[in-house]
Amino acid sequence: MEVFNPNPVIFAPAKVASRRSKENKPESFWDDEDADVEDENAVEPIDQDEIFDLIRHISDPEHPNSLEELRVVSAPQISVSENRVIVEFTPTVPHCGMSTLIGLSIRVRLMQSLPPRFKVDIFVKPGSHQSEHAVNKQLNDKERVAAALENPALLDTVEKCLEKAEAWDA
Amino acid sequence: MPRFKIAEVTELQGHDDRAWNIAWNPAKPLLASCSADKTVRLYHYDHATDSSDLRFTHNTTISTGHTKTVRAVAWSPSGLSLATASFDANVGIWEQEGGEESEGPNAGEWECSSLLEGHETECKSVAYSSSGTLLASCSRDKTVWVWEVQPDADFECLGVLMEHTQDVKCVAWHPHEEILASASYDDTIRLYIDDPSDDWFCFATLKGHESTVWCVSWSPDGRYLASSSDDKTVRIWKRVKEHSWESVLVLTGHERSVYSISWGVGKSDDDASLGWLASASGDGQVIVWELTKPSDSDTAPMSPTPPGHSIIARLEAAHGVYDVNAVAWCPRQGYEDILATAGDDCSVRVWKVVPA
Repeated sequence: MEVFNPNPVIFAPAKVASRRSKENKPESFWDDEDADVEDENAVEPIDQDEIFDLIRHISDPEHPNSLEELRVVSAPQISVSENRVIVEFTPTVPHCGMSTLIGLSIRVRLMQSLPPRFKVDIFVKPGSHQSEHAVNKQLNDKERVAAALENPALLDTVEKCLEKAEAWDA
Repeated sequence: MPRFKIAEVTELQGHDDRAWNIAWNPAKPLLASCSADKTVRLYHYDHATDSSDLRFTHNTTISTGHTKTVRAVAWSPSGLSLATASFDANVGIWEQEGGEESEGPNAGEWECSSLLEGHETECKSVAYSSSGTLLASCSRDKTVWVWEVQPDADFECLGVLMEHTQDVKCVAWHPHEEILASASYDDTIRLYIDDPSDDWFCFATLKGHESTVWCVSWSPDGRYLASSSDDKTVRIWKRVKEHSWESVLVLTGHERSVYSISWGVGKSDDDASLGWLASASGDGQVIVWELTKPSDSDTAPMSPTPPGHSIIARLEAAHGVYDVNAVAWCPRQGYEDILATAGDDCSVRVWKVVPA
């Protein structure tokens, strides 16, 4: 396979940003067994750090590093309103042919983790990719995404990218 | 204040995955739905005794044999054949054992009478022409195929139209002429006719939408074409010459992609009505517009004067928090105020537009 960025810059994960501990995150929506169940129908607030926690450990398709380590995703690039999540990500190089796959992995991760009321929009950082419009359009076309996920080879690659992120849930 | 409201008739559950599309049989009380679960479900409907309420009962489930999502369904005008468009790149043609005589819940099984192969990637839409002699299909492979429907479930490909530069999302035939419209991810709509001495060809490209065109639907009188887009708008195109169509109106009201539109005759008391146009969106809303003839419609029927328009009914959260993928008016006489929708919640819902 062609390697689009053979030598990426790797950054240390931010230590303070981790909100995995229960003290910091009593309302974590995937920790059902430990959360205080008061009202199952209550709309739980979800903030950008929580979204970041979901996607930071996704692996890059062509490196052993996480999207956080490569600074592909960061908390400030996520915005959350009541029913909408917007995730911006930064491909490591402007010709990155893996961008669609990275975006797809982020989308699948959020589809599987977030309550269905959220509409998720995913974009590459403006100016960060030479095919910005095409990548954005594809990632936000639900029919394209649905068809991609019925492609066994593509689904397999996405699942590999998500393995480490899912391991953090355990 | 909208004059009407959209009242729920029933919710039909049973699909195991996202419901993508629905189609009303034009001749019989049957509603078909299709899903990412690769099946087609058929529902029979009738009036409960001593009630005007419509009652829907599950008739049968066709486990299509498609290996991927069944994206779209369409009935032939006779109501005897059902076409399925699948992400497995094939179009299936389904007919009931026993043919025309079969009626009622105990009629024969639905069997695949033809499998139309040719598309290279996901097939996204399929449509029969008004005479039932032609079938069109389209795909992510950027092509539109026109098929001739021959006796004994035989199909001959009459043309492969390679006009679009990206996925083709939807095909729709004119209500009484052999004009085909296609909508695409390349943001355009193309119109095609047959050259009797040559092949099918594209005679018009309609540009105006700022993103993917998801769906196209002709007005019942055939003078207008409606289109819906990822740019959150619905556009109305008007025939200004025999082979020329112009954008005359942009309808706004949705907050996300408008995945589907359906233009039915409606049940209006306004003589100038051009029918009711329903739209369904990723924002969860279903909106019904009434379009009316412009004042110069008698003197200058092909002027670029836009039709009148008003929202007559609006429904939020038609499928709860989920996207609404498809909307379709029942085409049968007496049922012009009945709508069906399909949603990401795996359900199909039936609605009646009633005075507010």
